[in-house]
Amino acid sequence: MPPELTSERILTGPAPGDRETALVLAARRGDEDACREIYRVYRQPIWNVIVSLVGDVPQAQDILQNVFFKAFRGLAGFRFRSALATWLYRIARNECRNHLRRHGPATVPLDDILGSRYEADQAGFPGQPPGRQETLKNAVLQLPFKMREVIVLKYQEDLSYEEMSRVLGCPSGTVASRLNRALLELEAHLRPQGGSR
Amino acid sequence: MSLSCVLQRRRLSPYLQGELGSRAAAGLDRHLARCRRCSELLSRLKVGHEAGRSFGRLGPASPARLLSFEAIQAGRRARRSPSPFVVLTAGLAAVAGLVAIVVVTGRSPGVRAGRASSGSFTEMSIRDFGSRARSRVVTEGYVQNVYYDEQEQSLHIKLAESLRCPGPFVICEVRDARGLTIPAAGSRIRVYGTARYDGQPGRGWNEVNPVLEIAVLNR
Repeated sequence: MPPELTSERILTGPAPGDRETALVLAARRGDEDACREIYRVYRQPIWNVIVSLVGDVPQAQDILQNVFFKAFRGLAGFRFRSALATWLYRIARNECRNHLRRHGPATVPLDDILGSRYEADQAGFPGQPPGRQETLKNAVLQLPFKMREVIVLKYQEDLSYEEMSRVLGCPSGTVASRLNRALLELEAHLRPQGGSR
Repeated sequence: MSLSCVLQRRRLSPYLQGELGSRAAAGLDRHLARCRRCSELLSRLKVGHEAGRSFGRLGPASPARLLSFEAIQAGRRARRSPSPFVVLTAGLAAVAGLVAIVVVTGRSPGVRAGRASSGSFTEMSIRDFGSRARSRVVTEGYVQNVYYDEQEQSLHIKLAESLRCPGPFVICEVRDARGLTIPAAGSRIRVYGTARYDGQPGRGWNEVNPVLEIAVLNR
């Protein structure tokens, strides 16, 4: 019996006969339980990427739905040349990029500005400057898409350069250059005003 | 900037993240020892790197807001392509309708502004419901309450834009609940069906009637 699929090993490549392969093959045949299992395992990491890239929960929900809609529809074309997670990440970043091209940066719904009681407690009082966490999130969200995605994949999803190059479809050297630029942008965003290079 | 700087600078990020091989890292150390500009660049990258690590530690967004598998499936069913025959018939009917409008009114029909169509269903916000019936729409909102309407003898879901303040709402009329997920009050849902206006005395509200599908986005 192959080991249970967990999100911790999602980026290791598929081995013939392993559970991931079996699930994909079953899902291709229209097995709803297999689709449900794929969704259960991958929805959280894919969600993390989407919500960090678009910065808006309702829009991220629409994109998550599109990603899995396209993934289940396109499973027949999945050739096992990469891990299923890499393939899903690729669909997710393409969906996010296309969404942002069409709609521009997210507008924040009133509910999200008002926030929940918990969020309000974390945020401090109105009129106060944003906390460190908010500043950091905003700084990442203000980065150009190509820089934002490398920050999200590297620091949030903890992908290696090799994994990132597979997801982004570019050489590791390009990933490293992009990450350099992203880190410098981040540093510039967070530098106290009046600071110099 | 020398060629050596160009080559070594690509290694700075992997170096910070501990992903550079020991030989390459030693070469970079030697370069940094004699290149002030690359050392300064590394100092700035370290600040960005620490910010990136802090960003990574913020953790994922609330998993409670994730869509259920049923919601994904509902979206798939709603977008499933119709048969070629249906597409051809609908296409011919649409062309005939457009020609008829142009012939009768002498002008082209206007294009409705708003969000893009979701597959074969057109997305409408609750406040966009008008008095004109419109088939195959999808709308999204919060469930204010669910009740059985004696007069209509059907299940009604009152869907509003916000739970916190009064505002536009629609009544979603479920005639056949088989296979549908009936949401709890407070849930955020997407409802697929026909948009209508119920102008009967004592009513006067917009509705989705009949409801074809419900996707619960979060509970």
